Amino acid sequence: MTDPRWVGRSYETPPFQVTEQSIRDYMAAVGDLREDGELIAPPTYAMVYGFDAYWQLWSDQEVALDVAHLVHGEQRFTFERPVRPGDRVTTTGRLTAINNRGDMDLVTFELSARDDKDQPVSNGTALFIIRKP
Amino acid sequence: MKTMTGLDFDAINQGQTLPSLTKHVTVEQIRQYADASGDRNPIHLDETFARSAGLPSVIAHGMLTMAFANQMVTDWLGDRSLLKRLQGRFAGMVLPGDEVTCSGSVASKDSDARRVVINLVVTNQRGERVFNKGVAEAEFPPQRSDTDAA
Repeated sequence: MTDPRWVGRSYETPPFQVTEQSIRDYMAAVGDLREDGELIAPPTYAMVYGFDAYWQLWSDQEVALDVAHLVHGEQRFTFERPVRPGDRVTTTGRLTAINNRGDMDLVTFELSARDDKDQPVSNGTALFIIRKP
Repeated sequence: MKTMTGLDFDAINQGQTLPSLTKHVTVEQIRQYADASGDRNPIHLDETFARSAGLPSVIAHGMLTMAFANQMVTDWLGDRSLLKRLQGRFAGMVLPGDEVTCSGSVASKDSDARRVVINLVVTNQRGERVFNKGVAEAEFPPQRSDTDAA
């Protein structure tokens, strides 16, 4: 069981340097290859620049999420501006809810991504479902 | 004002269907997504581990399915910068070999705010929903008046 006392714990990524290569690798991986002229990352690239925050949560030995039984239940994003090569983005993720429900735990993680001028880039909310083995 | 591929805000109608997008998911694509995203959770990469965790095989990242839904919407918009919101529920597992189809329709249109809301769903080859309650919202640039254009 995930302990609800960890609600409020937060994790910050190091600044993520967005490169053309990183955007193109992501576009190739998901098969979204259309070019708009100017190179703009697909909005769901938010998962790439923010990934380290998720990783820190999943590998936090104190919170000890059972990642082998973790599935991504829901995801929400709002996008404040397009992301381009040259951007430096820092994402902060915060545990905002841990609910123990019968044979599963529901964990809510809210993320806020900002650029190096401290302007908003995107916001995210992930709901993880951890099934009890 | 038209976007680069010519989607005209004024021509969008509530209830209109977006062109669907079908993707064939492979082990190679899941690996490529793991590398590009950094998410190398073994349930996506290691068949033995995935089975020991009670899964039928390795599974695709939910965010790969959401990326397909994203693409369907931005292909239609013709401009990735118009997308302001995307959300949904991962309703079922996507396994290597699955063929998933994204479909959507215009749920509402606000001419004053120049925003459209799109409802989305992704189904597999058996018609089962793997992503549901999907919502996307796009905002179009302000319309230039004749005076501005002059």
